[in-house]
Amino acid sequence: MTSLTSFLLLLFTAVAQAISSSGSRLLVVLEDVAEKAQYSKFLGDLEGRGFEVTYETPKSDSLSLFHLGERSYDHILFFPTKAKGLGPNLTANLLLQFINAQGNILLALSGQKQAPTSVVAALSELDIHLPSERTGLVVDHFNYDVTSADEKHDVLLLPTPGALRPGVKDFFSPATPNGEVLALPQAIGQLLGNGALLTPILRAPATAYSYNPKEESEVLGDELFAAGKQLSLVTTVQARNSARLTVVGSADMLTDQWFDAKVKKVDGKASVATVNREFAKRVSGWTFNEIGVLKVNWIEHHLNEEGQGNQSNPKIYRIKNDVTYSISLSEYEWDHWAAFQVPAEDDLQLEFSMLSPFHRLSLKPTVSSEESTTYSTNFKLPDQHGIFNFKINHKRPFFNNIEEKNTVSVRHFAHDEWPRSYAISGAWPWISGIGATVTGWLFFVAIWLYSKPTGKGESKKTR
Amino acid sequence: MRFLRSLVPSLLLAAGAAQAASSWGFDEATLAVGSKKADGSVKEKFSEKSLPKKTVDFGRTDTLKIILTAKEGGKAKRPHQAFLTLQEPETGLEAPFVFTTKENGKATVELKHSDLPVQLLKSAKPLKATLTLASFGSSTGYNNRIFDVEIRPDPLAVPPVYEKPLRYGKLEEIHHIFKADPQSPPKVISMVFALIVAAMVPILLIATFALGGNVAHLQKAFSTAPVSHGIFYGSIIAMEFVFYMYYSTWNLFQVLPVIGVVGVVSLLSGSKALGEVQGRRLAGER
Repeated sequence: MTSLTSFLLLLFTAVAQAISSSGSRLLVVLEDVAEKAQYSKFLGDLEGRGFEVTYETPKSDSLSLFHLGERSYDHILFFPTKAKGLGPNLTANLLLQFINAQGNILLALSGQKQAPTSVVAALSELDIHLPSERTGLVVDHFNYDVTSADEKHDVLLLPTPGALRPGVKDFFSPATPNGEVLALPQAIGQLLGNGALLTPILRAPATAYSYNPKEESEVLGDELFAAGKQLSLVTTVQARNSARLTVVGSADMLTDQWFDAKVKKVDGKASVATVNREFAKRVSGWTFNEIGVLKVNWIEHHLNEEGQGNQSNPKIYRIKNDVTYSISLSEYEWDHWAAFQVPAEDDLQLEFSMLSPFHRLSLKPTVSSEESTTYSTNFKLPDQHGIFNFKINHKRPFFNNIEEKNTVSVRHFAHDEWPRSYAISGAWPWISGIGATVTGWLFFVAIWLYSKPTGKGESKKTR
Repeated sequence: MRFLRSLVPSLLLAAGAAQAASSWGFDEATLAVGSKKADGSVKEKFSEKSLPKKTVDFGRTDTLKIILTAKEGGKAKRPHQAFLTLQEPETGLEAPFVFTTKENGKATVELKHSDLPVQLLKSAKPLKATLTLASFGSSTGYNNRIFDVEIRPDPLAVPPVYEKPLRYGKLEEIHHIFKADPQSPPKVISMVFALIVAAMVPILLIATFALGGNVAHLQKAFSTAPVSHGIFYGSIIAMEFVFYMYYSTWNLFQVLPVIGVVGVVSLLSGSKALGEVQGRRLAGER
């Protein structure tokens, strides 16, 4: 009864906190708090999902990301500001400290307003580069919205991004039954470094390019910032501690105006709606740990041999033992933990390693419930003794990093654990040889003791 | 995008002059590939309607230069976007090169091997060169593949090194063992040899008896010294039994005391039994 009550209590608290898996305190930084009216639908969606939103301007004295060394907020959302810097409370260093403390940041930039210097500095630490002089506008003369940007071509219309590569889960593509598109007005493009932590969500189309609208409105200079697919319009970084930062190149795409806008492609016949609202929900949900969060429920390993004990998680195994390893994982989906399914063409891999892996094996789902999936595998331990780790190092784009290490000793065969010689068929001639020698010896002794010499032998001996 | 690419030329061809009024194009284009020192540069004139058909060879010391006149609706004009994009066909990696444009629509681009990223230099297949001419306003842009470029690396030079960047994903499976378990030959062969060895015992028995071996003195020996003979021979069998027990179950500490007991027994009984044998020898019966 008590366990049932506590379970129900746990369930209620879980429902009450049905929001992000890592806290609900959200700080929104705007030039002017009144500006939030532009983004009322986006911010309303966030509040509707359970975030406690605090609005601040960079100039505010009360703004502080840390209090007594602890984060004051779980997530930060930046909208474009006019000022060159963001003041002493939001320096690049503080933003990076916030990420190091596992805080998440969603950064909305605009091609019309210069990006703040502290943001540019923080981004360059993460190997995300903005155009020089912090201004750049992405245009595409082939994929623009005819309705609103017939002359300037700076409202990009893009299809939903789809999966990044085979084997990567597609979190960010809303359904588009009527050919709905994403509209990115006045976007600033980002150039990404080669690091594995950076993942673009949305790239510019092949014919898009970035230019400086102040200096290059007539003719492009020699230094092209980037063009085509090298330009990332929505970029994510997931740090090693699984803190997330997302750069949205177009803050305007989050405004109410573009949530409901009707747009028309260059060759399109009819106007179509935008899917900005759903896309914004998914991007913000991913950044604020509402989706793409994995959790390890338990890990278990045991001997898988007949006639041997199957104690859970023993500290020691013998070389060449058959062993079963299981891990239970859950994935957070908006407001609850659900069973984690490994995407097609991807695998959850177990490494059995001493310094370097001796075995790297794919785990297969064995038991699936509503809240978790158990993945397991059976394998024979390597023929080498030592201190080994069962290691799960699951790092995938858009999923938080899972690193689990369980250390076990692997010992030699004991002297009485080797197979007996009669069990080895190759030894049978030698065993029968020993038998023959023993019988022959007993026979020889009997002959020597009890043989009566024959006549011939006697005559020889007496002679 | 693919749709657009296929659309633009078909529009140009089908609609012809009517469409040309509001679309970008080019004319009087020259493609020159060669090294500056030697005059052996290959020049080829082409236009929108007659694109170069052959794959362009781009050697290590060569300069690839394109001069063209951009036109909007048939009139020479400077476009905002004038790019030559080289694309690696397998990975889809692209490198854009910006034309230097003049007011009268004249556009020039010049590139050397050192301008190309290493991924393109290492391409095994010819690169696709795409020309993009477009600008603000309502005119349709020009965006078409115009020719292919084959990169000819210098056979003497060190090939460029490119290391693929790390991307998180599943890795190769590993199943490493140092030494495979030892294997026995087929059981039939072991069985045959075991039987051959075992068959030696009856052969030994038969051969011994055939050569005159016998146990005729058994009765005599046992009537003279029954206890000592019985115990002596029994102790020899017992010793073999101890060895068998050591093989199957006992450990050394169980075996040693038993061997001690059996050994003393055979020593004591043996001196009596062998004395009897000696007696037979002295009596001339052996």
